[in-house]
Amino acid sequence: MILQSLKIALESLWANKMRSFLSMLGIIIGVGAVIAIVSVGTGSTQQVTSRIANLGSNMITVYPRTARGQGGRISSVSSQEKFSLKLTDYIEKFCPSVIKVIPVKQVSGRLISGDINVNTTILGTNIDYAEVNNYEVDRGNFISENDDDERRQVMVLGSQLAKDLFEDDNPIGKRIKVNYDKQVYMFDVVGVMKEKGGSMGGDLDDRAYIPLSVAMDKLTNSDFVTSYIAQAASSEKASTAVNQLKNFMAKFLNDENEEQFRIISQDEILDTVSSVTETMSIMLGGIAAISLLVGGIGIMNIMLVSVTERTREIGVRKALGARNTHILFQFLMESLNLTSFGGILGIGFGWIAAYFLSQYGDWPMVIAPLSVVLAFGFALFIGIFFGLYPAMKAAKMNPVDALRYE
Amino acid sequence: MSKLILIEQLKKTYHVGKVNVEALRGVSFEINTGEFVSIMGPSGSGKSTLMHIIGCLDYPTGGKYFLSGQDVSKLNDNQLALFRNQKIGFVFQQFNLLPKTTILRNVELPLTYNDTHSKNKKRLAAQALEEVGLGNRLNHRPNEISGGEKQRVAIARALVNRPSIILADEPTGNLDSKTGQDIMKMIDKLHDKGNTIILVTHEAEIARYAQRVIHLKDGLIDRDEVIT
Repeated sequence: MILQSLKIALESLWANKMRSFLSMLGIIIGVGAVIAIVSVGTGSTQQVTSRIANLGSNMITVYPRTARGQGGRISSVSSQEKFSLKLTDYIEKFCPSVIKVIPVKQVSGRLISGDINVNTTILGTNIDYAEVNNYEVDRGNFISENDDDERRQVMVLGSQLAKDLFEDDNPIGKRIKVNYDKQVYMFDVVGVMKEKGGSMGGDLDDRAYIPLSVAMDKLTNSDFVTSYIAQAASSEKASTAVNQLKNFMAKFLNDENEEQFRIISQDEILDTVSSVTETMSIMLGGIAAISLLVGGIGIMNIMLVSVTERTREIGVRKALGARNTHILFQFLMESLNLTSFGGILGIGFGWIAAYFLSQYGDWPMVIAPLSVVLAFGFALFIGIFFGLYPAMKAAKMNPVDALRYE
Repeated sequence: MSKLILIEQLKKTYHVGKVNVEALRGVSFEINTGEFVSIMGPSGSGKSTLMHIIGCLDYPTGGKYFLSGQDVSKLNDNQLALFRNQKIGFVFQQFNLLPKTTILRNVELPLTYNDTHSKNKKRLAAQALEEVGLGNRLNHRPNEISGGEKQRVAIARALVNRPSIILADEPTGNLDSKTGQDIMKMIDKLHDKGNTIILVTHEAEIARYAQRVIHLKDGLIDRDEVIT
């Protein structure tokens, strides 16, 4: 009987092609929108996540906060003057989830090569900096341990900086004058880094890198660093590492309220980003689901019109021996056909939309099977839910009244 | 001859708002297998109501109706549907064909509701259309054929299940007199082949094709006349 109702339903839908298509449109758009939006959400999240992961491996940065006094007075000692090199060893010792701590001394200076000069950021650091940042050497080497130990005045250039100073020439072996604090220092270029782009705290490509010892003892003659970059043992241990760092710094600086330091972890950024995109996906998905619901109401509307319009047909069918269930299934099948066929077209439409959006936004196209199943299942559910009332109305018609209907 | 229809003190009262309308006020008659009976009367006489009850489309509110020995007033909706499908073949004034399907599919319709195998369905429907002289137009749609032809399709549809009764409700009402006569001749021929026919009409001329005319008036039988 169901097969037969299906056949009758298909015939009557085919007989009203335009109307069938228009009432399907709501479902097509709804299902398509759900699939496309979920795909865009997942794709863009994957893209952003992979970009952030690309910035470095489980990096946690510890900064001093700027000194903040009360009532116009500067607080006694700035926390900047507590970020000593010794602390590096302490952190490694007291924070077991941190495997490496890299001190960074950041200064601004003018680099001069021939008649070109560039004001830029100079970073004093050690060999581990490149590794933790997933930062690769293009030509030459990064700063070595020997460079640091022997306070060699060597310099590694970011890719953009190298271009600015030397254009297409090979910078390796060239000498660069550095103007810092009214003094002039000469550096040998030993390496150029690959292009990397933004990272936590700035564009790496614009910077120059020198041994930490040179930056601290020769350029600034200071005992304190600008920040520490700590690397967590693994991404699972990142949040433990953050807590250990917080506890340690709070105790070390005698600063329970964390007023003197600031810790930013990569995972925190990742969490924020993914929670934002997740919320967006849920919100947009919800809107798409509402459009599906509205499509369902459209189907019910059409089915009600169709039942009224075909009252006489229902009467004839009943006179010829159709049972109430025959009529019920016929109309239920019609609405179910509308939504399931609309659902299939919608999947195709959503797929195409997702493809073009992923091309446009340059993220991987991800069609979650769950979203397809869910959207299609929801379409079927709508077909039954919104088709049931009109079908029952048709089935319950009195044959005598239905035959008399004009 | 066996009794096909036995009707005893049949009553039907409609409740229209607060008013009760007595459409049938106690009608009794019998119809034997193979008879050709006209039910005649002016509008409001109760002939449509009687036809609906005989056609198993409606329940009486009083009295008895036996069809092939079965008390119809005791059947439920589904059993009534089965009775309509197997015992009754309807021919309506307005033809009542499904407009967007071929005449073959229209004639197949009663067979779809009794699970006839689709292969047989087509054969039986084509055969019925052959009988009414439309064997070569199976794939035409109702809007492509004339009124007389439409009524012939309706007759084929009524015949296809080989029912006990062919119940024709004003079959010539929507046709010109020439075509109407053709249709009546066809119905007469069906009677000659042994079909039981009940014809509901208000036209005396049409009613006289039958062997017997039951005249209804105000919900009662006025006259039961045998035509010789």
